[in-house]
Amino acid sequence: MILLWLIAILILAGVLAAVAGRFNAAAPRVISLAALVLDLALCLGLWGRGLSSASRWSEELSWTWVPQLGIHFHLALDGLGLVLILLTMFLGIMAVLASWNGIQRSPGFFHFNVMWVLAGVTGVFLAVDLFLFYFFWELMLVPMYFLIAIWGYQRRIYAAVKFFLFTQISSLLMLIAMIVLVILHQRTAGFYSFDLQDLLATPLAPDMEMLLALGFLAAFAVKLPAFPFHTWLPDAHAEAPTAGSVILAGLLLKTGAFGMLRFVLPLFPHAVQRLAPLMMTLAVLGILYGAILAFAQNDLKRMVAYTSVSHMGFVLLGIFALNPIALQGVVVQMVSHGISTGALFVLAGALNERLHSRELRDMGGLWETMPMLSGVGLFFVMASAGMPGLGDFVGEFMVLLGTYQATPVLSALAALGMITGACYALRLAQKTFLGPNVHHSDFPDARWNERAIAVPMMVCLLWIGLYPQPLLNMIRPAIDNMPRQAVTARR
Amino acid sequence: MTASDLVALSPLILLSATALVVMLSIAIRRHHGASATLALLGLAASFASLRWAASVTPRQVTGLLLIDGYTLFYWGVLLALAAAVVLLAYSYLEHQTGHQEEFYCLMLLATAGGLVLVASSHMASLFLGFEILSVSLYALIAYLHLQRLPLEAGVKYLVLAATSSAFLLFGMALLYSETGSMQLATLARFYMGAPNAALGAAGWAGTVLMLTGIGFKLAVVPFHLWTPDVYQGAPLPTTALVATISKGSVFALLLRWFHPAGSLAGTPVWWAFVIMAAASMLAGNLLALRQNNVKRLLAYSSIAHMGYLMVAFVAAGPLAVQAATYYLLAYVITILGAFGIMSVLCSGEEECCELEDYRGLFWQRPVLAAMFSAMLLSLAGIPLTAGFLGKFYVMAAGASSALWLLLFVLVASSTIGLYYYLRVLVVLFSSLPEDHVKVMLPRGRVPAGAGFSLAVLVILLFVFGLYPAPLWDLIRGISAGIG
Amino acid sequence: MQLWPFVVYCALVGGLIAAMLGLSYVLGQRHQDRATGAPYESGIVSEGSARVRFSAKFYLVAVFFVIFDLEAVFVYAWAVAVREAGWPGYIELITFVLILGATLAYLWRVGALDWRSVPQGRKAR
Repeated sequence: MILLWLIAILILAGVLAAVAGRFNAAAPRVISLAALVLDLALCLGLWGRGLSSASRWSEELSWTWVPQLGIHFHLALDGLGLVLILLTMFLGIMAVLASWNGIQRSPGFFHFNVMWVLAGVTGVFLAVDLFLFYFFWELMLVPMYFLIAIWGYQRRIYAAVKFFLFTQISSLLMLIAMIVLVILHQRTAGFYSFDLQDLLATPLAPDMEMLLALGFLAAFAVKLPAFPFHTWLPDAHAEAPTAGSVILAGLLLKTGAFGMLRFVLPLFPHAVQRLAPLMMTLAVLGILYGAILAFAQNDLKRMVAYTSVSHMGFVLLGIFALNPIALQGVVVQMVSHGISTGALFVLAGALNERLHSRELRDMGGLWETMPMLSGVGLFFVMASAGMPGLGDFVGEFMVLLGTYQATPVLSALAALGMITGACYALRLAQKTFLGPNVHHSDFPDARWNERAIAVPMMVCLLWIGLYPQPLLNMIRPAIDNMPRQAVTARR
Repeated sequence: MTASDLVALSPLILLSATALVVMLSIAIRRHHGASATLALLGLAASFASLRWAASVTPRQVTGLLLIDGYTLFYWGVLLALAAAVVLLAYSYLEHQTGHQEEFYCLMLLATAGGLVLVASSHMASLFLGFEILSVSLYALIAYLHLQRLPLEAGVKYLVLAATSSAFLLFGMALLYSETGSMQLATLARFYMGAPNAALGAAGWAGTVLMLTGIGFKLAVVPFHLWTPDVYQGAPLPTTALVATISKGSVFALLLRWFHPAGSLAGTPVWWAFVIMAAASMLAGNLLALRQNNVKRLLAYSSIAHMGYLMVAFVAAGPLAVQAATYYLLAYVITILGAFGIMSVLCSGEEECCELEDYRGLFWQRPVLAAMFSAMLLSLAGIPLTAGFLGKFYVMAAGASSALWLLLFVLVASSTIGLYYYLRVLVVLFSSLPEDHVKVMLPRGRVPAGAGFSLAVLVILLFVFGLYPAPLWDLIRGISAGIG
Repeated sequence: MQLWPFVVYCALVGGLIAAMLGLSYVLGQRHQDRATGAPYESGIVSEGSARVRFSAKFYLVAVFFVIFDLEAVFVYAWAVAVREAGWPGYIELITFVLILGATLAYLWRVGALDWRSVPQGRKAR
């Protein structure tokens, strides 16, 4: 039941915010923040209660929805889901705080959209019924579209439409793959079911398995984004408002990786084996290509967006390395990338609020007048570059370690990504915070909400970087449980 | 004809009687409200008598009409749609000069034609229903005959629909000469290649001609050319009528005709439908991309939607009829809602259907704009809405029959389709232009009747999108007899 | 089937038409004077245009005639089978005639049978 509440609170808060927004501009912000804090508390409570080791799911809820097709409203929580919904609520709070002052236009509708995206993301992390998963998968799309299209920057319409079309065509392919899987299952088992647990047992011909796996991967690879499907990302990230960018980079990208972990790996173990070399190659290409492009950007937000491509390459690499250590690294990387990139987008938003520009050439020497903001910025830039002691390093290191067991060559190439990461990170720091203050910019330093965002995020990154064990403990059972089929298939 | 036959026909009889009563009431004294009320009462009575009729079904009435659960279900849908159109038309016609009352009489007749079509099991009743529907639509489309566009649309529709009727009739004659039967069920057996039932050249020619006639009414490619002009020119309530009752009843007829026993798969007729489906999906969506008039855009999108519907139609198996029915229901609710909202927004004699008229609607009329967005999202097949589940069922039906190519076309074309729905959404939510002078209906003045029907449509849209189980059971029940 | 009477009949019709047109062509005089093209060659100069607009009312009346006349055909069809149709048939026919009557009443009340041409009258005023 608590799982339903996690989603329902967000949805209700969204509606409430939209209604309250018509009377008072501040009310939606307060309502959203309160709802997210409540949800975060619930999640922490779930964590504090500990994960059950006996059964696969420590919390479960299953209602019949469409009995004729075996569709259930089936939510379930394991360690992986818990980590990611914690991240969701955490980044949700940051996103609301980040847009505390920036959003003047129709705050009610804005927060409605933010809440509904988060509800969709939460649903994605909890759903174990394929239909329900798809339902939430699409649910997070429309509000995100509105966030970009209404509150975005100059080229927002183009970016929003591109984002929507890319995601939609790929997810329709996934929907067809789901339906086919269910129908194949019905032919052998005699009943319709969209439940993950039922479908795991479906016997599949190798070619069919490959096709279905590709159908699922299409959706997840676009969302992740994997290398050739990433072109929507820089536009969407750069044009979205700060909250939108934070949610996009921090959460929506993670849903792609999550989908691979939860559905593709267990459902199609043989196909995954066959696809692994290809996907890992794409991942390495993504890491290097993203890093190079990030280095060449002059727009702060686009630059951060391309670093996402690079970082999510590590995630993809780790997933298809198909061993427990890499998979754990993937989850750590997902969390820490969510936090560090989210923070960088908040930073970019804060700078844009002051400078009214996202161009690197309009910046430089900001340290002089904004020491606190710049210091914080440097921290997150370094985190993003994979500095030891901060979260991203742990994730990337574990992924590389795991990959080395699978393919040393690709691991070595991917390690280059950490060097290129340092390159763009240093360039970013150099061009914005350091150097002479040529533009004689003089702006107020970090406001209360920016501090409130930065401090917990820094704490989290340091904690993951220095003592990741609690996080790993949380993920470990889920990982042990999940890819068993994939791993056994290889043996 | 026995008493039970009359009971089975009671919804149809009541509906026709209502048309007559409305006409007589006009003869006695013209009053817009009275005519609309009478029409509504008649529709309600007819709807109520469905229950009564259900007590004696299934029953074949006089060899012409087959009244079973399927028929009654579609009758109910058509009557409910007609009631919604009456409510919307009332507020729309209030703003128009000229006589308003005859609209209801004609509309009831068109609905009666639709009812006959749905129930027909014989070529004669098929043609009768077809013509009652068409002839009423001629007048309805040109109802505002003092304006240029409706008149043009009316004439276009008249010429083309009359031609298509002629095709249909000729096709029937040829088929009759070949098969010696006018029963639709017998004909369907010929298409399925039953033993001792092969069609000769005349029979195939007749089939092609009949499909032309039916394809015209459905507006599938390549018989779609009239759609944009007629949609654009016709008054909005009529457009809603064409999009829902006319197409819905013809499709219901087709569904019953070709699904009495087993599937058509692999036969030439089946291939014709497959090609029409693929062409409609692609052409409809591609042509809609560059439209700047919302009515034209929805006209092209309706072509595409008929294509989606045909995917379910050509699929075999128990899912097919159910999926098609569900999709059809979702579609008519959505499109009626969309046209309804547009008609509420048109406050003067002029319709405001240009895309630019809707710029920034959300900031002026948030509720109506949100409803319109919901309708657009449903057309695009986004979850939470009935349109999504409809598309989902269509895909399931297609996948269970392994129609990979059609499914691929469906995915590709609905992504194209998404683009133009998004275009409208963008306009709805974009900021108001500086020199914004166009005054939409002032806030809070949606007429009660229209508001009520829109609210019901929106609620149905979400109910069918979120909790389809009861409806799905109902559809399964009624389609058991035919699928 | 005996086709030849029909063929002869057609030939006779064709021949008659050809004879009438041909004879007038051969025998008739022709001249090309100033007033040859005028509508009336009676020496009076014509006034106004020959393209006079007649009220569509005439068309409407013609259509009503066709409709009501055609509907009467159904009564004949019933009359042929009156015994077989029995009372139900009688009731159905009465319904049919009543509907026709109602239509007539409607047409009368909305002024469709009004002979006068309203728009022209308005123009005159």
